[in-house]
Amino acid sequence: MKSNLKRKGKTLTALCLAGTAALIMASCTGNVNPDKNLLPSQDSGKKTVNLFSPMEKIEPDADSTARNAADTTVAMAEQQLGVTVAYRTYTAENYQDKTYDEVALDRARNNMDDLYLLNPDTILTLGVEGSLMDLSGLSCAENLREVVKVANTVNGKLVAIPQEVVAYGLFINKDMFDRYQLELPETPEDFLECCRVFRENGIETPVGTNRWWLETFVLAQAYADLYNGGNTQAQIDALNSGQAKYSDYMRPGFEFLKKLIDLGYVNAEKALVSEAIEGEGADFLAQKTPIVMAYWGAANTETAYGNPDFNLQVIGFPSSRGQIPVMSMTGYAIGANAEHAEDALRTLDVILSDEALQVYSEINRVISPSKNVEVDCIPALKPLNDKIQEGVFVLGSNAGLKVEQWGNTCLIVRELLSGATVDECMAAFDKLQEESLNK
Amino acid sequence: MTRGSRMEIKGEMKKRTEKKRGSKGVPLLLPIILVFCILGTVVFSVSHQISREMSLSAIQNLSESLNLIKSTIETILKNEAEFQKLMAHALTREENPEEYIRFYEKNQTMVKISLILSGETQGISSTGETFSEEGLDFSSGRTIEELPVSQSYVNYMGTWAYTMKCPVVKDGRETATLYIEYTYDSLDRSLPDGFYDQKAMLYIMDAQSERFVLKPEGMGKRNAGHLNLEDFYRANNIQNPALHAEISECLKTGENVLFYHDIRSVNALNYMWPVNNGSIFLVGYVPVEAIQQEGRTVNQNIFIVVFVMLAAFFFCCSLYYLNQRQQNKIRREREIHNRQLAEALQAAQIASNSKTTFLSNMSHDIRTPMNAVLGFATLLSMDVENPVKVREYTKKIMASGQHLLSLINDVLDVSKIESGKVVLNLEKFALNDLVSSVDTIIQPMAKAKKQHFHVDVTGLEHENLIGDETRVNQVLINLLSNAVKYTPEDGDIWLRIIGLPQRSSQYERLLIEVEDTGYGMTPEFLTTIFDAFTRAENSTTNKVQGTGLGMAITKSIVELMGGSINVLSEVNKGSLFRVELEFRIPEDQADRHFWEKNGIRRILAVDGKEKTGGSIALLMKDTGVLVETAAGLTEAVQKIESGGEESAYQVVLVDGSLSDASAAEAVQRLREILPPAVPILLLMPYDAEEAQQTLEADNAGTIMKPFFVSAFQAKILEMQAKPEEERPKAETADGLQGMRFLAAEDNEINAEILSEILDMEGAGCEIVENGQLAVERFQNAGDGEFDAILMDVQMPVMNGYDSTRAIRSLKRCDAKTIPIIAMTANAFAEDERAALDAGMNAHVAKPIDVKLLKKVIHQYTKKRDEE
Repeated sequence: MKSNLKRKGKTLTALCLAGTAALIMASCTGNVNPDKNLLPSQDSGKKTVNLFSPMEKIEPDADSTARNAADTTVAMAEQQLGVTVAYRTYTAENYQDKTYDEVALDRARNNMDDLYLLNPDTILTLGVEGSLMDLSGLSCAENLREVVKVANTVNGKLVAIPQEVVAYGLFINKDMFDRYQLELPETPEDFLECCRVFRENGIETPVGTNRWWLETFVLAQAYADLYNGGNTQAQIDALNSGQAKYSDYMRPGFEFLKKLIDLGYVNAEKALVSEAIEGEGADFLAQKTPIVMAYWGAANTETAYGNPDFNLQVIGFPSSRGQIPVMSMTGYAIGANAEHAEDALRTLDVILSDEALQVYSEINRVISPSKNVEVDCIPALKPLNDKIQEGVFVLGSNAGLKVEQWGNTCLIVRELLSGATVDECMAAFDKLQEESLNK
Repeated sequence: MTRGSRMEIKGEMKKRTEKKRGSKGVPLLLPIILVFCILGTVVFSVSHQISREMSLSAIQNLSESLNLIKSTIETILKNEAEFQKLMAHALTREENPEEYIRFYEKNQTMVKISLILSGETQGISSTGETFSEEGLDFSSGRTIEELPVSQSYVNYMGTWAYTMKCPVVKDGRETATLYIEYTYDSLDRSLPDGFYDQKAMLYIMDAQSERFVLKPEGMGKRNAGHLNLEDFYRANNIQNPALHAEISECLKTGENVLFYHDIRSVNALNYMWPVNNGSIFLVGYVPVEAIQQEGRTVNQNIFIVVFVMLAAFFFCCSLYYLNQRQQNKIRREREIHNRQLAEALQAAQIASNSKTTFLSNMSHDIRTPMNAVLGFATLLSMDVENPVKVREYTKKIMASGQHLLSLINDVLDVSKIESGKVVLNLEKFALNDLVSSVDTIIQPMAKAKKQHFHVDVTGLEHENLIGDETRVNQVLINLLSNAVKYTPEDGDIWLRIIGLPQRSSQYERLLIEVEDTGYGMTPEFLTTIFDAFTRAENSTTNKVQGTGLGMAITKSIVELMGGSINVLSEVNKGSLFRVELEFRIPEDQADRHFWEKNGIRRILAVDGKEKTGGSIALLMKDTGVLVETAAGLTEAVQKIESGGEESAYQVVLVDGSLSDASAAEAVQRLREILPPAVPILLLMPYDAEEAQQTLEADNAGTIMKPFFVSAFQAKILEMQAKPEEERPKAETADGLQGMRFLAAEDNEINAEILSEILDMEGAGCEIVENGQLAVERFQNAGDGEFDAILMDVQMPVMNGYDSTRAIRSLKRCDAKTIPIIAMTANAFAEDERAALDAGMNAHVAKPIDVKLLKKVIHQYTKKRDEE
């Protein structure tokens, strides 16, 4: 009985060994199957949407918060729609290079891409040219705040939709203001007084600037009454019809800037060749400069002013109506003749949906263009946010105005920085108005 | 060779065998370690080699890929140049070249065609604008197919582009220059759609401006593009100046650059690959893991295989080891089993032999006294008229009977011990009582053989102990009676009880030595002395009668008590038995109260030849009494005289064997100097003659050696009582005159013997045949009709125990008090206990010892009367 069992066990072991050996031999020979296409069927239905957007400089081993937020929404679209959003970027190496806006205009006019992230002036330019598609049919457009719709509507077409409403303000080193017992400035006069005190205390250039954002001072002073005086549309109509002159609105702001330049509170030469944040950011973070101007998101972004060593406060620009934020909107637009227009529309509908905007706003802590999305802001932004919540702000760009404001003002401010007089600058506005009336 | 040295050698050999067994694994372990080391080295070098080769092959592969891309781009550039030349040639045939240009529609490669006629600075362009060379930088001198190529720039479409210019030569004369603008985007369409599983990064860099003119698309947020080489360095943390310098040099010379550098903590191969003689460069990186994917997979698989093999190897080793262990265990068990079997066989043979011998001996030993009994009985019947002879024969019959009885007792004891039925009866006992009872038995035996019996107790701390006194007594009697038996006349026998250092404070450790100057034993006999059924027998001792079981019983009892016994002996010199035992110490050892009550604080012990003082002090340690020792009478006198009242002695103990005076003299002398109230006690050996003389002195007495606290205590009590009481008169009424007993006995002969004995003693007896009848008879008896009931145990109808219980449960007033004495052949301690448990008062073993019976009857009837 026992020997019988033993024999059975041996037979089983032998069989197992033989089986294993056979398996090993089989695995070694490989799996060669002749006369057959070895490549799997290739997916030819790959959908690509080309997105042209500005590029932030990348720090080693650091992620960009802003790009993270935008990318998260893009990833949502890619996942939902099965498309690939291909980034195309451009950044000017220096002021002599073409600007992003210029390149964006060129690319949009030549149908190089499908989706564009555009500044307000570019939106208006391309919108007027008819190079951008009407987005009012998108379901996400229904959720937009009225002010957003107004600012992005050209000739009755909603040509762009932003992912965030960008509020510009003054970034204040509150510690330095406290050190010299200075109140935060409400009016242009207050501001000049603060600069004087800083100068007296050895701070040569109290205001850090670049070639992009100085127009915010001008726009705040120019349109504080227009947007907050209760008679907005009538004033806009007057400007569009030529009954009122842009130069009349702009003059106080330019004179104020001129004074800042003349008194040396702003370094005009440096400003003219400085890129945003790159030029003035280092000094502000090093507490050499108490005041800079920047957009809302810069207070949340690690690579900008997200992590200062001092008490940061973001306030509105000085005006006759006190501190006032300047709102601007960088919007997504689709080329009128985009190669992948259908996919681009669907992509945009996803990345601008309430769900995506909620994610975006939570990551970036910004004001959402959707009336359905609200997020808390960081304490530093509270003064600015309070004003916005009160409905006190100035639109930096308004497609309803026939003369584009944001880009033109920026360019004319650069003229001022280059040495032009205030009158010459005003003449430039008058010329622009005249051209617009002739169209 | 002595036995001791043989043992040492055996022990050494055993150790060596164990060592050998323990070190058996070491030679096996070394090759295993060696094999593993070799295996590890081989695996390491193989995987290292694979990694290196795969790395080299990956570099080779990457180089080939880059070369392929480079060739592709160069071919495109050449094609563009050649096509441009063709166009320039075609233009020569056109009558209106400008018109030709104007009608050109841009395609994805050539986005703008312009023509400047010779001698002019401006021309026309396919986009409809005027065209000038302004803004185009041909200063680098780089060419494609001899056509000058401009520095890269962002063109009107907002994308990076370059322009080649080609002279339009007609009839050997340059009539115009054809400018064609190409975009880098067109190259992108010819480049692989992401290589190395899209983990590799590829940019095209304009060599002169070091700007990135073509960036990978669809690479997500971070890799969407770098501005220029400096930006690439910064973003990827390539900060080594030496490397920068080397790359710069290569950029100038148009050489390939390949280097390892971590990109976002991932080891990567970075490359700069010149295209078109270094006018543009392919720049990027590939993570090493993407390149060495196959190598890594191979290595991983090798490690998995090695790991699995190792695991399998260890598993097999474990199985082998377990199997070996199991086999060894079985083998060892089998060996032990075989050995046990062999031993059992041998033991059985020995036992069989012993029993055969024993039976033969027993036959002889039983027949001898039996012969005497029968022989003398015959003689008795013949000489019945001669009272002298009758007494002599009866005496001899009784002696033979006694011998027969002891034989039977021993045989029964052995069988009981062997069957494991013996249970120790642990109770508190006094060593004093034990020694005196032994002394009482042995001393007369020794005297009868004219031997000297000495008892010595030393180093003892406690004399009240817990143990089975009967069994200890049995051991001592066995050893001492043997000593008496095997010692010739005038020999000496010693009993020494020595206190050994305690192992535990709760146990007293004793060494009991029994030494004699007897015949001794041969070494051969010593090896079997403790075996049952053996008896030293030779020409000298064969006249000694014995069962040959005494020593076996002794050893068994000693071992049962957790002790050990050994023996040293030499023929004709004597023997020494050493028994080591431990006894539990009872908690209420010292009776301090007694000494305080009697005002005894200091004692003087006068030492004799035997130094007893130390033992006395040790035994008195716990009593709180200070014992001072004097070396002799002189010193004792000195101590007594020099001491004041504080240091006065309350008792003086004098050793009987003083070196400087006789005991009587010492007592006299001490009596003179001591106050009359201080007792003097003489420590004397058994029935020493001088003992009587000491009594002549006042307040003096004797206590027997060895010294025991309890004996000492009793003596003091006795001496205190003396003055008050008359010495009690000897008990005269020890007969059974006038008493009447009820006896339950089924055996007629025994009944008759009992009846006769009682009759001779003047007592009446009524015999009933069983327990039932005894109960009935007692129930019907009148009050006080019977003085006691003598109860056999094994009876028909109702046994003695049941009968006793029935009697005790009767409703008669004397049912509980009538003494019931067991008279039975069931003679063991267990039987006695059973009898007492059943309600009997005492137990007397058969055959009947008349004296004992009388004593017991008196004891219980007297007690009853008192109640």
